[in-house]
Amino acid sequence: MFDGTPDELSKLIEPGRVHRRVYTDQDIFELEMERIYGRAWMFAGHVSQIPEPGDYVTTDIGRQPIIFIRHKDGTAQVLLNRCAHRGPKVCNEPCGNAKALTCLYHGWTYDTDGTLLDVSMPEGSAAHFDKKDFGLAKAPRIGEYRGFVFVSLAETGIGFDEFIGPMKANIDDLVDRAPDGEISLDAGIHRYYFRGNWKLQVENVLDSYHVPFSHASTVNKKGEQFSRREGDKEGAKVIEETKDKKEKTADAWKGRRSYVVGLGHGWTSNTELKEKERSSAAYDAYKDALAAKVGKERMEEILTPEFHNSLLYPNCSIMGLNMHVRVIRPVSADITEVTVYPVKLKGAPDEMNSANIRLLNVTHSATSFVQTDDLESFRRTQVGLQSLQSDWIDFSRGMGEEIPDEHYNATSESAMHEMAIRAQYQAWLQYMCEAA
Amino acid sequence: MDSLGLPSAPAAGGIAGIDREQFELFLIHEGRLLDDREFEAWMELFTEDGLYWVPSTPGQPDPYNQASLFFDDRQLMKTRIERLRHPRIHIQTPPSRTNHMISNVIVEEADEKASTYLISSSMMMGEYRLDVQRFFMGRQFHRLVREGDSFRIALKRVNLINCDTAFEAMAVPI
Repeated sequence: MFDGTPDELSKLIEPGRVHRRVYTDQDIFELEMERIYGRAWMFAGHVSQIPEPGDYVTTDIGRQPIIFIRHKDGTAQVLLNRCAHRGPKVCNEPCGNAKALTCLYHGWTYDTDGTLLDVSMPEGSAAHFDKKDFGLAKAPRIGEYRGFVFVSLAETGIGFDEFIGPMKANIDDLVDRAPDGEISLDAGIHRYYFRGNWKLQVENVLDSYHVPFSHASTVNKKGEQFSRREGDKEGAKVIEETKDKKEKTADAWKGRRSYVVGLGHGWTSNTELKEKERSSAAYDAYKDALAAKVGKERMEEILTPEFHNSLLYPNCSIMGLNMHVRVIRPVSADITEVTVYPVKLKGAPDEMNSANIRLLNVTHSATSFVQTDDLESFRRTQVGLQSLQSDWIDFSRGMGEEIPDEHYNATSESAMHEMAIRAQYQAWLQYMCEAA
Repeated sequence: MDSLGLPSAPAAGGIAGIDREQFELFLIHEGRLLDDREFEAWMELFTEDGLYWVPSTPGQPDPYNQASLFFDDRQLMKTRIERLRHPRIHIQTPPSRTNHMISNVIVEEADEKASTYLISSSMMMGEYRLDVQRFFMGRQFHRLVREGDSFRIALKRVNLINCDTAFEAMAVPI
């Protein structure tokens, strides 16, 4: 019997390794949904998805269905998508606009902030029935930073400022690229799923060690990846030849760093690309538009990339290279769904936004050149972990080589190492063992 | 009409009096090249400025301002196919086996003078890989240009009935 006591949980994680059950055991998954997805701050949506009062999108936080909606007073609200009466999902469309939300089953009608407005045939209500007690449940805590809306489904716990503070620079790095200082996530979505545990995707976003191997098929004979940004002639140099004509990971790729800042958050440093040679009609017009708003000097600062991929543990990653926001939705111990939102930079020429949307189709969609090989890795990992040959999964690379980084107030290590995964498991244990 | 000029509600029944068989044979040929993994030959069916589009929402008006499952020009198609030929493409190790079925072929538009045609058809592609079989189904539109005895594809749009679902990884074109 597994009760999920701190004592039991801490036995699953040792320095540099984790027990395979953490990926395969449905009981542990249920506890994760309660204690991590039910406690931590989760990306729920972006304000640009719901510009007008009554606009809504429906999505899920872990397995819990939510409605992200603009109330008539202008505030963004996150409501649980479950009728307070008998439980049906109230809003069934992926997005839309509604003056009020009516449940299909018995016609109960809610305001856009979840307040119960009307009960059909109210004369039959019990004597003690009070409409005030039957609104759509709201996410207990909500926080916003530069349009990114996060919720916690727990009344208490780590505060929003503590959660978002160390990652603000990562969000700024992306949002500042917009000439109007705002981004929008209204360019559709990519959805994919894989037959593997959700943590495989979370670990992967800060894993640079896998790239030369997992993504070999995206690299040309010169060892360069295909061009992933508007204006680049080629992508990052990932593989190079040794003197005796053997393949090795390129020094430029190996030189990258990863950073962690607590709560499982972290990022990897930028990908080395030929920034000075980056040019195209769309990119040059974009640079001009940005410089017109912020000045040439600041434009150059903004367009000197600092971050490759950033993780807001546990359900959100933001990629600076192929601009997108990725949201992880665990379905079961061995099924995970992922949603990818292309980022549009407000005030940028349409051609620039369009180029980013088009490149994202081939980097992070279900049909993409990059993501599909990751999905195969996740699937094969889940299969391999059925083997009882060992109870342990190793992520000890670089243990003891972590160093403090004053510039970012972070801890840093080679991006070829596995510090970021170790940090994620510290946070995992912290959320899982936190007193309810 | 979408931004690439395809009608959103084509005339029912299509245009009578034009030999449908030539188009049907061409579409069968196209599907067979994909099924036989003759990806380069498939790409060569497209005109130099040809486009291949599989939208990710029903009735999607535009491939430039919204995410799509596929929206390849010849350049992206070439990169995609080079990757499909790479010995270390893990998502195709082992490769998919596919079979296309094409039916309900209709001539939607015909400009005999310019030798350009818009053909719609129903398609189904079964895909099998590693003990999993799945089906893609939808209505597709081909804007074709006559070239000698055959045609080239200026635009192919596939409207999958489940285009907005969460897909498991897809490596081969539909």
